[in-house]
Amino acid sequence: MNQKIMNYQNYFNQPNVNANPDPNHNMNFNKCMYTPKERPEDLYEAYEGFIRGNMFPDLYNQYKVSKPFDVEPMNEQAQLLTYVDALSFAAHDINLYLDNFPDDRAMIQLYNHYRTEAERAIKEYENHFGPLYVSSNTTNKYPWSWNSLPWPWEN
Amino acid sequence: MWVYEKKLQYPVNIRRKNVKMAKYIVTQYGGPAGELSASWQYFNQRYTMPDNRGKALLTDIGTEELAHVEIISSMLYQLTKDATIEELEENGLGANYAQFGHDLFPSDANGVPFSMTYIKTSGNAISNLESDMAAEQRARDTYEHLMDLTNDPDILAPLAFLRQREIIHYQRFKELRNYYLENLK
Repeated sequence: MNQKIMNYQNYFNQPNVNANPDPNHNMNFNKCMYTPKERPEDLYEAYEGFIRGNMFPDLYNQYKVSKPFDVEPMNEQAQLLTYVDALSFAAHDINLYLDNFPDDRAMIQLYNHYRTEAERAIKEYENHFGPLYVSSNTTNKYPWSWNSLPWPWEN
Repeated sequence: MWVYEKKLQYPVNIRRKNVKMAKYIVTQYGGPAGELSASWQYFNQRYTMPDNRGKALLTDIGTEELAHVEIISSMLYQLTKDATIEELEENGLGANYAQFGHDLFPSDANGVPFSMTYIKTSGNAISNLESDMAAEQRARDTYEHLMDLTNDPDILAPLAFLRQREIIHYQRFKELRNYYLENLK
Protein backbone atom coordinates (compact mmCIF):
# COMPACT_ATOMS: atom_id res chain seq x y z
CA MET A 1 0.00 0.00 0.00
CA ASN A 2 1.42 3.40 -0.85
CA GLN A 3 1.98 6.05 1.77
CA LYS A 4 -0.88 8.31 0.74
CA ILE A 5 -3.42 5.51 1.08
CA MET A 6 -1.95 4.44 4.43
CA ASN A 7 -2.21 8.01 5.71
CA TYR A 8 -5.79 8.08 4.52
CA GLN A 9 -6.66 4.82 6.30
CA ASN A 10 -5.05 6.02 9.54
CA TYR A 11 -7.53 8.85 9.86
CA PHE A 12 -10.30 6.36 10.59
CA ASN A 13 -8.44 4.77 13.48
CA GLN A 14 -8.10 8.01 15.42
CA PRO A 15 -10.51 8.73 18.26
CA ASN A 16 -12.62 11.79 17.53
CA VAL A 17 -10.59 13.80 20.04
CA ASN A 18 -11.58 17.15 18.68
CA ALA A 19 -15.31 16.61 18.90
CA ASN A 20 -16.78 19.70 20.42
CA PRO A 21 -17.11 19.20 24.21
CA ASP A 22 -17.81 22.83 25.01
CA PRO A 23 -19.91 24.92 22.65
CA ASN A 24 -17.89 28.02 23.52
CA HIS A 25 -14.48 26.44 23.12
CA ASN A 26 -13.68 28.26 19.92
CA MET A 27 -14.35 31.97 20.42
CA ASN A 28 -11.35 33.20 18.49
CA PHE A 29 -12.71 32.71 14.99
CA ASN A 30 -12.94 36.39 14.16
CA LYS A 31 -10.89 39.40 15.08
CA CYS A 32 -13.73 41.38 16.52
CA MET A 33 -12.52 44.97 16.36
CA TYR A 34 -9.87 44.30 13.80
CA THR A 35 -9.52 46.80 10.95
CA PRO A 36 -7.24 45.48 8.27
CA LYS A 37 -4.52 47.34 6.51
CA GLU A 38 -3.21 44.56 4.36
CA ARG A 39 0.21 44.66 2.72
CA PRO A 40 0.66 42.48 -0.36
CA GLU A 41 3.90 40.99 0.98
CA ASP A 42 2.07 39.71 4.08
CA LEU A 43 -0.39 37.56 2.14
CA TYR A 44 0.00 33.84 1.60
CA GLU A 45 1.31 32.54 -1.72
CA ALA A 46 -1.58 31.47 -3.99
CA TYR A 47 -1.44 27.72 -3.23
CA GLU A 48 -0.94 28.22 0.52
CA GLY A 49 -3.93 30.56 0.60
CA PHE A 50 -6.03 28.25 -1.55
CA ILE A 51 -5.63 25.18 0.68
CA ARG A 52 -6.51 27.34 3.69
CA GLY A 53 -9.45 29.05 1.99
CA ASN A 54 -7.91 32.36 3.04
CA MET A 55 -5.21 34.61 1.56
CA PHE A 56 -4.88 36.73 4.72
CA PRO A 57 -2.71 35.18 7.47
CA ASP A 58 -4.00 37.49 10.21
CA LEU A 59 -7.56 36.31 9.53
CA TYR A 60 -6.72 32.62 9.39
CA ASN A 61 -8.35 30.45 12.05
CA GLN A 62 -8.06 26.68 12.19
CA TYR A 63 -10.63 24.22 13.52
CA LYS A 64 -10.18 20.53 14.35
CA VAL A 65 -7.47 19.79 11.79
CA SER A 66 -3.93 20.66 12.85
CA LYS A 67 -2.81 21.80 9.42
CA PRO A 68 -4.54 22.51 6.11
CA PHE A 69 -5.03 19.57 3.75
CA ASP A 70 -2.84 19.49 0.67
CA VAL A 71 -4.69 19.04 -2.60
CA GLU A 72 -3.31 15.78 -4.03
CA PRO A 73 -3.92 15.71 -7.78
CA MET A 74 -4.22 12.18 -9.19
CA ASN A 75 -3.01 13.03 -12.72
CA GLU A 76 -1.65 15.79 -14.95
CA GLN A 77 -5.12 17.13 -15.66
CA ALA A 78 -5.91 17.50 -11.96
CA GLN A 79 -2.47 19.09 -11.41
CA LEU A 80 -3.08 21.76 -14.06
CA LEU A 81 -6.56 22.36 -12.64
CA THR A 82 -5.06 22.86 -9.18
CA TYR A 83 -2.91 25.71 -10.59
CA VAL A 84 -6.04 27.26 -12.09
CA ASP A 85 -7.95 26.81 -8.82
CA ALA A 86 -5.20 28.32 -6.66
CA LEU A 87 -4.52 31.35 -8.88
CA SER A 88 -8.23 32.04 -9.41
CA PHE A 89 -8.80 31.76 -5.67
CA ALA A 90 -5.99 34.22 -4.90
CA ALA A 91 -7.45 36.78 -7.32
CA HIS A 92 -10.97 36.25 -5.96
CA ASP A 93 -10.05 36.70 -2.30
CA ILE A 94 -8.22 39.95 -3.13
CA ASN A 95 -11.24 40.99 -5.25
CA LEU A 96 -13.47 40.83 -2.13
CA TYR A 97 -10.93 42.88 -0.16
CA LEU A 98 -10.78 45.52 -2.91
CA ASP A 99 -14.57 45.86 -2.97
CA ASN A 100 -14.19 47.38 0.51
CA PHE A 101 -10.84 49.14 -0.06
CA PRO A 102 -10.97 50.44 -3.66
CA ASP A 103 -8.13 52.93 -3.11
CA ASP A 104 -5.48 50.32 -2.24
CA ARG A 105 -3.12 50.66 -5.19
CA ALA A 106 -0.70 47.91 -4.12
CA MET A 107 -3.49 45.40 -3.72
CA ILE A 108 -4.93 46.31 -7.14
CA GLN A 109 -1.50 45.45 -8.55
CA LEU A 110 -1.49 42.12 -6.73
CA TYR A 111 -5.01 41.37 -7.95
CA ASN A 112 -3.91 41.97 -11.53
CA HIS A 113 -0.83 39.83 -11.05
CA TYR A 114 -2.95 36.84 -9.96
CA ARG A 115 -5.63 37.58 -12.58
CA THR A 116 -3.10 37.39 -15.44
CA GLU A 117 -1.41 34.31 -13.91
CA ALA A 118 -4.81 32.62 -13.63
CA GLU A 119 -5.64 33.49 -17.25
CA ARG A 120 -2.37 31.93 -18.36
CA ALA A 121 -3.04 28.74 -16.37
CA ILE A 122 -6.59 28.55 -17.76
CA LYS A 123 -5.30 28.82 -21.36
CA GLU A 124 -2.76 26.08 -20.75
CA TYR A 125 -5.37 23.80 -19.18
CA GLU A 126 -7.85 24.43 -21.98
CA ASN A 127 -5.22 23.75 -24.67
CA HIS A 128 -4.57 20.33 -23.14
CA PHE A 129 -7.98 19.27 -21.91
CA GLY A 130 -10.70 21.43 -23.49
CA PRO A 131 -12.79 24.44 -22.46
CA LEU A 132 -13.44 25.52 -18.87
CA TYR A 133 -15.52 28.40 -20.27
CA VAL A 134 -17.91 28.16 -23.20
CA SER A 135 -16.34 31.41 -24.48
CA SER A 136 -12.92 29.70 -24.79
CA ASN A 137 -11.07 29.61 -28.14
CA THR A 138 -10.84 25.85 -27.67
CA THR A 139 -14.56 25.48 -28.52
CA ASN A 140 -13.60 26.21 -32.16
CA LYS A 141 -13.15 22.57 -33.17
CA TYR A 142 -15.16 19.54 -34.25
CA PRO A 143 -16.90 17.76 -32.59
CA TRP A 144 -18.37 20.16 -30.00
CA SER A 145 -15.84 20.19 -27.16
CA TRP A 146 -17.78 21.87 -24.33
CA ASN A 147 -19.08 18.51 -23.13
CA SER A 148 -15.80 16.64 -23.57
CA LEU A 149 -14.42 17.37 -20.07
CA PRO A 150 -15.73 15.51 -17.04
CA TRP A 151 -18.29 17.51 -15.06
CA PRO A 152 -16.93 19.07 -11.88
CA TRP A 153 -18.98 16.94 -9.47
CA GLU A 154 -17.72 13.66 -10.91
CA ASN A 155 -14.66 12.20 -9.20
CA MET B 1 -25.90 37.66 -16.07
CA TRP B 2 -23.71 34.82 -14.93
CA VAL B 3 -21.08 32.70 -16.69
CA TYR B 4 -20.45 29.07 -15.78
CA GLU B 5 -16.92 27.90 -14.96
CA LYS B 6 -16.63 24.17 -15.55
CA LYS B 7 -14.78 23.49 -12.31
CA LEU B 8 -15.38 23.60 -8.56
CA GLN B 9 -13.93 26.43 -6.49
CA TYR B 10 -12.35 23.69 -4.33
CA PRO B 11 -12.06 20.05 -5.48
CA VAL B 12 -14.29 17.29 -4.06
CA ASN B 13 -12.98 13.72 -4.33
CA ILE B 14 -14.72 11.50 -1.78
CA ARG B 15 -13.54 7.88 -1.86
CA ARG B 16 -15.88 6.37 0.78
CA LYS B 17 -19.63 6.60 0.44
CA ASN B 18 -21.19 7.83 3.68
CA VAL B 19 -24.96 8.18 3.74
CA LYS B 20 -25.06 9.33 7.33
CA MET B 21 -22.78 12.32 6.65
CA ALA B 22 -24.82 13.15 3.54
CA LYS B 23 -27.92 13.33 5.71
CA TYR B 24 -26.17 15.89 7.93
CA ILE B 25 -24.31 17.87 5.24
CA VAL B 26 -27.53 18.43 3.26
CA THR B 27 -28.38 21.23 5.69
CA GLN B 28 -25.63 23.33 4.07
CA TYR B 29 -27.50 22.86 0.79
CA GLY B 30 -31.08 23.63 1.84
CA GLY B 31 -31.02 24.40 5.57
CA PRO B 32 -31.43 27.70 7.46
CA ALA B 33 -27.66 28.47 7.48
CA GLY B 34 -27.06 26.85 4.09
CA GLU B 35 -25.31 28.17 1.00
CA LEU B 36 -28.50 28.53 -1.04
CA SER B 37 -30.06 30.80 1.54
CA ALA B 38 -26.84 32.84 1.96
CA SER B 39 -26.51 33.28 -1.79
CA TRP B 40 -30.05 34.54 -2.26
CA GLN B 41 -29.99 36.75 0.82
CA TYR B 42 -27.02 38.68 -0.59
CA PHE B 43 -28.33 38.86 -4.15
CA ASN B 44 -31.70 40.00 -2.86
CA GLN B 45 -30.16 42.80 -0.77
CA ARG B 46 -27.67 44.17 -3.30
CA TYR B 47 -30.10 46.35 -5.30
CA THR B 48 -30.64 48.85 -2.48
CA MET B 49 -27.10 49.04 -1.10
CA PRO B 50 -26.18 52.72 -0.59
CA ASP B 51 -22.98 52.73 -2.68
CA ASN B 52 -20.84 50.77 -5.09
CA ARG B 53 -18.86 49.05 -2.35
CA GLY B 54 -21.99 47.32 -1.10
CA LYS B 55 -23.29 46.48 -4.56
CA ALA B 56 -19.94 44.96 -5.51
CA LEU B 57 -19.41 43.03 -2.27
CA LEU B 58 -22.91 41.50 -2.17
CA THR B 59 -22.70 40.56 -5.85
CA ASP B 60 -19.27 38.96 -5.47
CA ILE B 61 -19.98 37.08 -2.23
CA GLY B 62 -23.43 36.00 -3.48
CA THR B 63 -21.74 34.59 -6.57
CA GLU B 64 -19.17 32.75 -4.44
CA GLU B 65 -21.99 31.24 -2.37
CA LEU B 66 -23.43 29.77 -5.58
CA ALA B 67 -20.06 28.08 -6.09
CA HIS B 68 -20.41 26.74 -2.53
CA VAL B 69 -23.85 25.32 -3.35
CA GLU B 70 -22.06 23.40 -6.10
CA ILE B 71 -19.32 22.13 -3.73
CA ILE B 72 -21.93 20.93 -1.19
CA SER B 73 -24.02 19.35 -3.96
CA SER B 74 -20.95 17.54 -5.30
CA MET B 75 -20.25 16.19 -1.81
CA LEU B 76 -23.84 14.96 -1.43
CA TYR B 77 -23.74 13.32 -4.85
CA GLN B 78 -20.44 11.53 -4.20
CA LEU B 79 -21.42 10.46 -0.66
CA THR B 80 -24.61 8.74 -1.85
CA LYS B 81 -24.26 7.80 -5.53
CA ASP B 82 -23.18 4.19 -4.81
CA ALA B 83 -25.40 3.66 -1.76
CA THR B 84 -27.83 0.75 -1.88
CA ILE B 85 -31.49 1.21 -0.99
CA GLU B 86 -30.79 -0.67 2.25
CA GLU B 87 -27.94 1.72 3.16
CA LEU B 88 -30.14 4.72 2.46
CA GLU B 89 -32.90 3.25 4.67
CA GLU B 90 -30.53 2.34 7.52
CA ASN B 91 -29.10 5.85 7.61
CA GLY B 92 -32.31 7.82 7.56
CA LEU B 93 -32.64 8.56 3.84
CA GLY B 94 -35.32 5.95 3.03
CA ALA B 95 -37.93 8.70 2.78
CA ASN B 96 -35.61 10.65 0.46
CA TYR B 97 -35.30 7.60 -1.78
CA ALA B 98 -39.09 7.23 -1.86
CA GLN B 99 -39.56 10.82 -3.01
CA PHE B 100 -36.41 11.62 -4.99
CA GLY B 101 -34.58 8.38 -5.79
CA HIS B 102 -30.88 9.26 -5.98
CA ASP B 103 -31.57 12.90 -6.89
CA LEU B 104 -30.50 15.69 -4.56
CA PHE B 105 -33.14 17.77 -2.81
CA PRO B 106 -32.49 20.98 -0.85
CA SER B 107 -33.61 20.41 2.72
CA ASP B 108 -32.22 20.70 6.24
CA ALA B 109 -30.73 17.72 8.11
CA ASN B 110 -34.22 16.67 9.28
CA GLY B 111 -35.58 16.66 5.74
CA VAL B 112 -37.51 19.94 6.05
CA PRO B 113 -37.55 21.42 2.53
CA PHE B 114 -35.64 24.63 1.78
CA SER B 115 -37.67 27.75 2.47
CA MET B 116 -37.00 31.23 1.03
CA THR B 117 -38.18 32.57 4.42
CA TYR B 118 -34.66 31.70 5.65
CA ILE B 119 -33.35 34.81 3.91
CA LYS B 120 -33.30 38.03 5.93
CA THR B 121 -33.89 41.50 4.54
CA SER B 122 -35.48 44.52 6.17
CA GLY B 123 -34.88 47.65 4.11
CA ASN B 124 -31.86 49.07 5.94
CA ALA B 125 -28.25 48.59 4.83
CA ILE B 126 -26.89 48.29 8.38
CA SER B 127 -29.55 45.80 9.50
CA ASN B 128 -29.08 43.85 6.29
CA LEU B 129 -25.29 43.65 6.69
CA GLU B 130 -25.66 42.59 10.31
CA SER B 131 -28.01 39.82 9.14
CA ASP B 132 -25.31 38.85 6.65
CA MET B 133 -22.66 38.78 9.39
CA ALA B 134 -24.95 36.55 11.48
CA ALA B 135 -25.59 34.28 8.48
CA GLU B 136 -21.83 33.80 8.07
CA GLN B 137 -21.41 33.05 11.78
CA ARG B 138 -24.22 30.49 11.79
CA ALA B 139 -22.79 28.82 8.70
CA ARG B 140 -19.37 28.66 10.39
CA ASP B 141 -20.97 27.12 13.49
CA THR B 142 -22.69 24.52 11.32
CA TYR B 143 -19.47 23.64 9.49
CA GLU B 144 -17.77 23.11 12.86
CA HIS B 145 -20.57 20.76 13.96
CA LEU B 146 -20.27 18.86 10.68
CA MET B 147 -16.48 18.61 11.14
CA ASP B 148 -17.08 17.21 14.66
CA LEU B 149 -19.09 14.38 13.10
CA THR B 150 -16.42 12.86 10.82
CA ASN B 151 -12.74 11.93 10.59
CA ASP B 152 -12.74 11.31 6.83
CA PRO B 153 -10.15 13.72 5.33
CA ASP B 154 -11.96 13.65 1.98
CA ILE B 155 -14.98 15.17 3.77
CA LEU B 156 -13.06 17.36 6.22
CA ALA B 157 -10.96 19.12 3.55
CA PRO B 158 -13.84 20.80 1.68
CA LEU B 159 -15.71 21.47 4.96
CA ALA B 160 -12.61 23.21 6.38
CA PHE B 161 -12.27 25.29 3.19
CA LEU B 162 -15.94 26.33 3.31
CA ARG B 163 -15.73 27.14 7.02
CA GLN B 164 -12.76 29.41 6.39
CA ARG B 165 -14.66 31.29 3.69
CA GLU B 166 -17.36 32.11 6.25
CA ILE B 167 -14.67 33.80 8.36
CA ILE B 168 -13.50 35.92 5.42
CA HIS B 169 -17.04 36.85 4.37
CA TYR B 170 -17.90 37.78 7.96
CA GLN B 171 -14.86 40.05 8.05
CA ARG B 172 -15.76 41.76 4.76
CA PHE B 173 -19.39 42.33 5.78
CA LYS B 174 -18.22 43.73 9.10
CA GLU B 175 -15.76 46.11 7.41
CA LEU B 176 -18.53 47.38 5.14
CA ARG B 177 -20.96 47.75 8.06
CA ASN B 178 -18.36 49.75 9.98
CA TYR B 179 -17.59 51.90 6.92
CA TYR B 180 -21.28 52.75 6.52
CA LEU B 181 -21.64 53.53 10.21
CA GLU B 182 -18.80 56.04 9.90
CA ASN B 183 -19.64 57.51 6.51
CA LEU B 184 -23.40 57.47 6.11
CA LYS B 185 -24.33 60.01 8.71
